[in-house]
Amino acid sequence: MKKFIIKTVINNRKYELSVSPNQTLLDLLREELGLTGTKRGCEVGECGACTVLINGEAVNSCLVLAPQIDGKEVLTVEGLAEDGELHPLQKSFMKHDAVHCGYCTPGMIMSAKQLVEENPQPTEEEIRTAISGNLCRCTGYVQIVDAISEVQK
Amino acid sequence: MKQFEYINAKSIQEAAEILSVLKNEARIIAGGTDLLIELRRPNAKTPQTVVDITSVKELKGISESNGSIILKPLATHTEIHKSDLVKKFAGFLGEAASVIGAPQIRNRGTVGGNVMNAATCADTVPALIALGAKVTLHSVTATRTMPIVDFFIKPYKTKANADDILTEIKIPKLPSGAKSAFIKLGRRNALSISRLSVAAVLVQDKSGIITEARIVPGAALPTWMRVTEAERMLIGEKPTEKLFEAAGKKVSEVMISFTGRRWSTEYKEPVIGVLVRRALEKCIILLNEVRKNEC
Repeated sequence: MKKFIIKTVINNRKYELSVSPNQTLLDLLREELGLTGTKRGCEVGECGACTVLINGEAVNSCLVLAPQIDGKEVLTVEGLAEDGELHPLQKSFMKHDAVHCGYCTPGMIMSAKQLVEENPQPTEEEIRTAISGNLCRCTGYVQIVDAISEVQK
Repeated sequence: MKQFEYINAKSIQEAAEILSVLKNEARIIAGGTDLLIELRRPNAKTPQTVVDITSVKELKGISESNGSIILKPLATHTEIHKSDLVKKFAGFLGEAASVIGAPQIRNRGTVGGNVMNAATCADTVPALIALGAKVTLHSVTATRTMPIVDFFIKPYKTKANADDILTEIKIPKLPSGAKSAFIKLGRRNALSISRLSVAAVLVQDKSGIITEARIVPGAALPTWMRVTEAERMLIGEKPTEKLFEAAGKKVSEVMISFTGRRWSTEYKEPVIGVLVRRALEKCIILLNEVRKNEC
């Protein structure tokens, strides 16, 4: 099977990668690049654990083929911190105890990231819509919504 | 996922040429939100080649031309939902796009995929049928345009041949003064598949009499269609709760005439009626708002 050479930017770093057609972006991130912050969950686009941003838009990386990120910019949870300083969303999640087992957290934060970039002062309803594709099975959503609502871009 | 070849097509022509050779051995990928799930199934029929059309510029965008909205198939549900053009001239299509899946799915999933996949629960389709949209299919041998209502044969089966590419969805704008609504019932609010839905359009004259009505149920009939029996009951009448209930009852009768009575009928029979009533009521609320602003 033919492999593809793609050029992409992941977490602000340029990559030239050889990828297989039947490899998903999720596989590429976790298995090849060691970016295991992005979690593997349902693999049918329902749980949101694998959410990353492609050109600023939240997507399920389990539903993107690796060759499809050629020429695109990908941001994962590992790319949020700058100069050793956590992103305000990450700090707010810690402050509000919006993490229990932590499995949904990277996906939640990436969905929230697209929201606060586009809408710096979201309403509670807008926050709930933005994270509606991310399932949390332990803490509940109250602390997560609180954490996001406190972050003003 | 099993192995397959991948081709990133750069134009409609290139994609059409690949399909003309590979036919059923090729599958098109746009948003991938249905295809990847399908390919990952253990017993999936894996195509030899996946043809990626997401780089084809001619297949992107939402624009206006001679009183119609031109929806290119790669328009994502997010783009449709945010489009001012759609909001203004086909409000319920935007509403329908906004309740598909979740933001991650809407950012990626396309209207072309929704139409071509032809799942019974495809949420953009009832509105497209009510709007009288036309689809254009292109292959190396022919380009043909047909009303979308004739395009669907049965769930997951359309009139598109294996070498056809959907290149355009043309939507006549709703008449001025028309109001539309889409109501969806899922098992929960987020990320739900439609169990039943209703797309509706109403137009009233100055005295409040209904002059035009369109009702298309979703996930209720073998294929989508306007329920003209119910629409006719509304024309020439003033909106009342009783009238809308009767129209809802008619839709539910029509549904049962197609599906027969089965295990889910006990639930669906009253529920589709209520959804029709709610969709019509929503249109009236929107019409009244317009009137208030005019006063």
